Amino acid sequence: MTDGEKNVDEVVEEAAETLASVWPLHSFVAANPLSGYEDRGFHEALELSHRRHGAEPYPDVDTLERAWSQDNIDDDVLRSKLDKYDVELEPEDAFQRLEQARSERPGKEVGSGNRDVDRLTAKWLSMHLDEGQAGWSMPCRDEGFYQAWRHLASYDGEIPEVDGSDDLPGSAEEAVADALDGYGRERQIEICRHHLESLSGWSGYIRRRNQDPHDPWKEEAPVTLTDYLAVRFELADLLEASIEPPAELKETESQPLQRAFLEAWEDSYRRQLLQKLKSRDDAEEETDADAKLVFCIDTRSEVIRRKIEQEGAYDTHGYAGFFGVPMLHEPRGDDHPYAACPPIVEPEHHVESKIRLAERQKVRLNRHYNAAITASRKHLKSMKNNVVAAFPFVEGAGTAYGAAMAVRTMTPGLLHRAYDRVKDVVGRPAEFTQPDIRAGEDSEGERGNDFQDVGEGIPLEARVEIAEDAFLLMGWKELPPVVAFVGHASETTNNAFDSSLDCGACAGQPGGPNAKVLAEILNDVKVRSRLRERGHEIPEDTVFVAGQHNTTTDEVTLYTDEAPPGQDELLKQLEDDVDAARELAAEERRSSLHRVTEDDGAAESERRAFDWAETQPEWGLAGNAAFVVAPRDYTRDVDLEGRVFLHSYDWESDPEAEALEAILAGPAVVTQMINNHYYFATVDDSVYGSGSKTTQNPVGNAMVYQGNAGDIMTGLPRESLRKTDDETYHDPLRLTTVVKAPRSHLEEALGGSDRVKQLFDNGWMHLVVVDPDQDDDAFLYQKGMNWVETHVEATEPEVEPEPRSKTLD
Amino acid sequence: MSDRQRSERSPELSKGTRRLDLATAFTYVVWIMFTVSAFLLATTFTGVYHPSVPAPFTFDGLTAVIWAIVTFLSGIVHSYSLRYMKSDRNVGDFYLKIFGFTLIVMALVAVDHVALFAIAWLAMSLVMASLIGHVRSWPQALEAAKLARIYFLASTAALTAALAVTAWSTETTSISGVLANLDTVPRDVVFLASALLVLAAMLQSALFPFHTWLMSSMTAPTPASALMHAGFVNAGGILLTRFAPVVSAEIAVMSLIAVVGAFSAILGQALMSVQTDVKGKLGGSTVAQMGFMVLQCGLGFFSAAIAHLILHGLYKAYLFLSNGAAVERGKPMKPRKTSTPILLATSLVTAAAGGVVFAVLTGKTTLAFDTRLLLIVVVVLTTLHAARDVLGRSNLYMSVRLATLPVLVMIALTAYAVLFNFISTMLDDLPATYAPTELTVAHLAIALAFTVAYVAAEAGWHTRSKRLYVALANQAQPHPKTVLTDRGEYDD
Repeated sequence: MTDGEKNVDEVVEEAAETLASVWPLHSFVAANPLSGYEDRGFHEALELSHRRHGAEPYPDVDTLERAWSQDNIDDDVLRSKLDKYDVELEPEDAFQRLEQARSERPGKEVGSGNRDVDRLTAKWLSMHLDEGQAGWSMPCRDEGFYQAWRHLASYDGEIPEVDGSDDLPGSAEEAVADALDGYGRERQIEICRHHLESLSGWSGYIRRRNQDPHDPWKEEAPVTLTDYLAVRFELADLLEASIEPPAELKETESQPLQRAFLEAWEDSYRRQLLQKLKSRDDAEEETDADAKLVFCIDTRSEVIRRKIEQEGAYDTHGYAGFFGVPMLHEPRGDDHPYAACPPIVEPEHHVESKIRLAERQKVRLNRHYNAAITASRKHLKSMKNNVVAAFPFVEGAGTAYGAAMAVRTMTPGLLHRAYDRVKDVVGRPAEFTQPDIRAGEDSEGERGNDFQDVGEGIPLEARVEIAEDAFLLMGWKELPPVVAFVGHASETTNNAFDSSLDCGACAGQPGGPNAKVLAEILNDVKVRSRLRERGHEIPEDTVFVAGQHNTTTDEVTLYTDEAPPGQDELLKQLEDDVDAARELAAEERRSSLHRVTEDDGAAESERRAFDWAETQPEWGLAGNAAFVVAPRDYTRDVDLEGRVFLHSYDWESDPEAEALEAILAGPAVVTQMINNHYYFATVDDSVYGSGSKTTQNPVGNAMVYQGNAGDIMTGLPRESLRKTDDETYHDPLRLTTVVKAPRSHLEEALGGSDRVKQLFDNGWMHLVVVDPDQDDDAFLYQKGMNWVETHVEATEPEVEPEPRSKTLD
Repeated sequence: MSDRQRSERSPELSKGTRRLDLATAFTYVVWIMFTVSAFLLATTFTGVYHPSVPAPFTFDGLTAVIWAIVTFLSGIVHSYSLRYMKSDRNVGDFYLKIFGFTLIVMALVAVDHVALFAIAWLAMSLVMASLIGHVRSWPQALEAAKLARIYFLASTAALTAALAVTAWSTETTSISGVLANLDTVPRDVVFLASALLVLAAMLQSALFPFHTWLMSSMTAPTPASALMHAGFVNAGGILLTRFAPVVSAEIAVMSLIAVVGAFSAILGQALMSVQTDVKGKLGGSTVAQMGFMVLQCGLGFFSAAIAHLILHGLYKAYLFLSNGAAVERGKPMKPRKTSTPILLATSLVTAAAGGVVFAVLTGKTTLAFDTRLLLIVVVVLTTLHAARDVLGRSNLYMSVRLATLPVLVMIALTAYAVLFNFISTMLDDLPATYAPTELTVAHLAIALAFTVAYVAAEAGWHTRSKRLYVALANQAQPHPKTVLTDRGEYDD
């Protein structure tokens, strides 16, 4: 190996630092596509990304104009921001300037010959990275991408001058080193970065696959970024294309103007939010609650929590939706576990869901049912794909397909109700399985399984810690007779992006299993006695129960069968009340949906859940704009419009600010990832988002193309962010984190987490502290631990002002 | 009222709503047309009422059948798109196109004039091309539309030439007139016309080597693809059926049609096996199914071809409309092979029985060495495959497998036979739609090709050839200009 080859890995690694990971659609993670740039300022990163990728950095003029004409951008705030950036324009003229800038902007250049390099690389990657779509997968792919390509290239008529594998360098390192030979190190990195980002969908996917220790496809079809670059460089060489990057785009002139608008919009929202919180009516006396319900911090929890609290003496809390359980979860009957925790947390325990003993009878039926379903699906696939049988099969089955098509289109509810009926009979796995956290106990610390880095089950010590974290982070003091942990999952059909609607804190998976684990831990007497030693008292008659919130229909299922006896009446009452709350929540959410067809919220939400023609089953986390870390008292009864992440936190029970530090290092970072993802996918839905669902084409069982082929699209589809092609639903604003705690307290917590401090310093999100030591005044964080007081007047609830009718001609 | 409920004030939305109101109106109209078509189909079939229409129109069995299926599929696509396309900037245009497409197809099967037929053919093609380029801000979509347009213009040219020579030689402009006076036309001219018709059909039905436009058409919105794969590509089969007397005049031409069809059938399935994208796989499958439909024409079973295009249309439309469900967590799996001599013997017996049942149900019982045998061979192979697959499902009880198999085979064969016999009856009044030909070397070659392909695929022989893999992968590729490598261009 030559020196050049030894250096290759380092160069590639450095070049890949700004490359964003891309997750498969079945485990969708809403990550910041510019996460590699987070060590720079927000605006600087946007500028750089614009110059390199031609991406739109800011909301477009139409979106801004609409926000302004609807008073979501306050006129005074806007004027002061325009002043700040030395823009001497009236708002009306500023819009015109933006419009003009849009039409004059030059497009991105593609280096000559590079289109074919891109296309051919993408063609080969699509074959290599396939996760089970093709019946005949790429030969030799177990040897790695470069080697497989090397063996096959001579048969590809599109690749000139290769007669056999010997015409190509023997290793990927050699190929890359050859290509980079003669360039200085900095230039080498630039060249590699350009090529990695030329197909940043595919290369980001490769990066992610290699970072995931549990991806089963790594052995089947290994691929490294060096492989990817080697193939590209060889193709460029053979096609006589230059490997040097074309010139970067020029800086956008309208940038200061766009910054002013974005900041004005953010400031306006923040003022509104703080005003609402300040003006809340807190005269209500606190009463003892019958039950506590703990929901995910997800913005969709906000509405249902508010409605449940209206139904009875209930307290609700916000907590990260994986409930602090860092597990690799394996559903029953699936030998392929997934990480049920946020991507920034490493799974520590392998937990398998098993059948509860009491449910044997139902399970038998369910097993037969599953066997029949699996067999039918495989049979259909086998018939469809067979070289002869496919033809008469189509003739024999066409009528049935036609009937199914008519039913699913004309009465979407019918099939669903029938399916539901069947499920009632055969049972739902969520109802009769239980994560087996004690799996490792008998084998004397011998926690052997296929996953070297995680142990089997959850040992007692870890259980106690998980339980204690819940106490500390939510600031619990007293517990009512019933405590429910409610995870969440979505319910949609014919939706390649279904997992983007599931729990983000569980890496795009349902949160129910995690809730079950925490409930079981806290029901355990051993854990309770250990907690008591540490000063956390759980009343003897308190029961913990798990549940799951269906975010599409707002139904909340409580797994009461699994709860210990003692509080049956309360549980029954609670079930009735969440049902009632569901109706109200669905009704409220209905009003924000685009093109409703049903008259009441519940029916509409159900129709959306099982209508195969529906591209907007629910809004997911669209609209998210703030993260409030405070006791529920601070937000209770305030309509936050489903736009706010809520984490329970009581600074008084956290004297060392340790819990706050953990909240900032964990949940705050996750909300920032999500918020940035939504921001970027909204401002540029082709570079950062995946375009319209209507022209997408799923590929490789894990991704989507737009149209025929090429690079894979990353990020949320347009329909998740916009009502229509021309009207955004998600307001692209950076997240405002609001913490209710003394300023010194927050500073202490910030000091302990560099990553999150960097995010605030660099403007990837905003931070506001509402200081109880200073009469609940609000202070906005500025780079380097400086604070600016933001004056917020409590206002009497007033009549809604008439929207200004502004015209812009 | 919260700030989030603000859309009512925006002018764009009310414009969008108006467009959607138009779309709703179109949807109602299409379903009314379906109701009328279904009614006419029933009355024509029972003989209660057969509409008579003035020249240059016709209303025969083919018209009735195609009207019913086209309005049904179009109705589904209209209804589906009310929700699916609701956010689209150009939803109004989209509805104009799919509604217009429906009307044109209905006209195509109801005109009895060569010039009108050619005009409808062209108009239908241009509308379809513009649906491929529906997203106008997307350069690759426009390229795909352009590519399709070139193929369609070529097919219209071939069709027009064929119609022109026959109309000129028969000195008549009505299709029925042309067909009735074919015996006055010189053999060479009929040969030329039939070759041109086959060419037009191959282009329109995306048969090899003309499949690239179809493999590049995934820029179309999903419901438009459904309409394309379930409706538009069938035009080749309808053309051959409409002009059956022309193409079936020469056994050599018929054999050629059969070979061309069979080749695409096998190739299309092979393309499908190497593809990794859902819509591309469906495209490969359409090439294959259209090949089979043309094969049926070449064998002289024009009514079988019509039955096939209907059933395939239902099947393929469903798969397109449900493509979002196709992303699921997969894991690497080794092929499973559980077969014992007893299971194989049972499968062979079932297969033979399947062939007999098929022959009986579709009226192919007279023992004669003609092309009927070929269709029976295909059904036997299929039943064999179904039997081997069902009996090999080791996660089911053997009793379940044994009980399910005959039920499954009988249901499938009966469902097909009912429709096939219905179509046959409907097409009785068309000239030469049931014309099994005697067996030629070509037919034997086709039977052999299917059998060898089946055995090879089951044994995995093909996987030994890297050259074949790459060749298939390249055949399945869309045209380079229609590939989106730079994501930013999607929204230029």
